[in-house]
Amino acid sequence: MATFNMSFLTQPHSSLPYFPNFSSQNTPSFSSYSLPKTSLILPSFTVRRQNRTITRRIVFVAALKKLSETDPLTVPVQPNEISARFPNESGVYAVYDSNGDLQFVGISRNIAASVVSHKNSVPQFCSSVKVGVVDEPNRTALTESWKSWMEEHIATSGKVPPGNEPGNSTWVRQPPKKKADLRLTPGRHVQLTVPLEDLIDRLVKENKVVAFIKGSRSAPQCGFSQRVVGILESEGVDYESVDVLDEEYNAGLRETLKNYSNWPTFPQIFVKGELVGGCDILTSMYEKGELASLFKS
Amino acid sequence: MASRGVLSRANRIKSRLQSALQPTIIEVEDVSHEHAGHAAVRETGNNETHFNVKVVSSKFDGHNLVKRHRMVYDLLSDELQSGLHALSIVAKTPKEHGL
Repeated sequence: MATFNMSFLTQPHSSLPYFPNFSSQNTPSFSSYSLPKTSLILPSFTVRRQNRTITRRIVFVAALKKLSETDPLTVPVQPNEISARFPNESGVYAVYDSNGDLQFVGISRNIAASVVSHKNSVPQFCSSVKVGVVDEPNRTALTESWKSWMEEHIATSGKVPPGNEPGNSTWVRQPPKKKADLRLTPGRHVQLTVPLEDLIDRLVKENKVVAFIKGSRSAPQCGFSQRVVGILESEGVDYESVDVLDEEYNAGLRETLKNYSNWPTFPQIFVKGELVGGCDILTSMYEKGELASLFKS
Repeated sequence: MASRGVLSRANRIKSRLQSALQPTIIEVEDVSHEHAGHAAVRETGNNETHFNVKVVSSKFDGHNLVKRHRMVYDLLSDELQSGLHALSIVAKTPKEHGL
C-alpha cells in the first residue's frame, strides 16, 4: 500500500497580489494591482511507498464523490459552451486528455473559468474534465478534496498526474511577474567612483522611459507615484522604475535628482533622457491621449 | 529665507504667485489632511505639506507644461525647502481655460 508525503512547495492562495520584489523596509501596503485569480496555485508533492494504511480523510469531503464515481464531461471548443456546461462554482477538477489519461488535478474558485483557461492554453490535454463541486469551499475543504482525489488516483494508478509533479508549471497560471525596480548603486557600503548625478544621467539616457517613484512599482508608497505606475501599466509601456525611498541602493538620490532635473517633487518621469514632468503632467497627457505618441516614437 | 510669519502657507503661496504671475484666476487649497498617512508628513510633523494650486495666467502662454510647472516651483522654492512637500498644479492660459 502506498502512503503519501505531501510536502507543500507552494501554498495555494487565491487572492494575494504577487510581490516579486518586496523589500523588507516597506510596510505591507495595499497594492492596487490585485489579480483576480480563479485557478489556485497548487501544492505539489512526492510519493513514497510504505507498508502503512492510508488514514481516512475527515468528514467534510464525504460529500464529494470519489474520482472514479464521477463522470467526465467532454470539453467543448467554444468558451461560451464551456461556461454553459461547467459550473461557475468552487471545487476540484480532473483533466483528461484524448487518451483518457489523467493529466492534472486542480482546485479552483470558478471551475468553468479554469477549464476555459486550460482549454485555451493546453487544448491538447483537455479532452474531458471530471468535476467535484465543494460546498462551503474554504481553503481547507478545497485542499482536502483535492488531496482525496489525488490519493484515489495514485492508489489506483501508482502515479502522480504529470501536471501535478513538482516543478511542472504547465497548468499553473503564474501572475505576470512585474519587472524589478532599477537600482542606481550596488549598495551603501560600496564607494561610488562616479558621481551620483552621472549615474542618473546615464540611466535616463540609456533607457527610453524611466519613472522615479516613491516605493517600488509593485508597492508604490504615495498616491501620485501609484497613479503614475497605473498609467504606465495601462498604456503597456516598457518602463524602468527607480525607488527614490530606497536608502540602501539609492541613497542620496532624492536630493541629487531634484538638482539634476530642476524639479522639486516626486514622481518624475523621463522619456528619452528628458523630464516629461510629474504626476499632474502625465495624467493630463494621458487624458488628452498624448501618451501613445510620446511613448511610441 | 522666508519666515513663517503670521500668514498661513496657503496665503503665502497665493500672494507669491499673484505678484509674479498676475493670474486671472488663482486657487490654493491645503489638502495635507488627505495625505496624513504619508511618510513625509509624519517626519516633519508639519501639517502644511500638500497643496492643490490652480493658476490661470497669460504668462503661461507659449510655455509647455513642464516649463509652466517649473515657473510655479521656482516661485515657491522657499516653501519647498521649508516643509512644502507636494503640489498638484493646474496651470492654464486664459484661452485654454475658456475665459
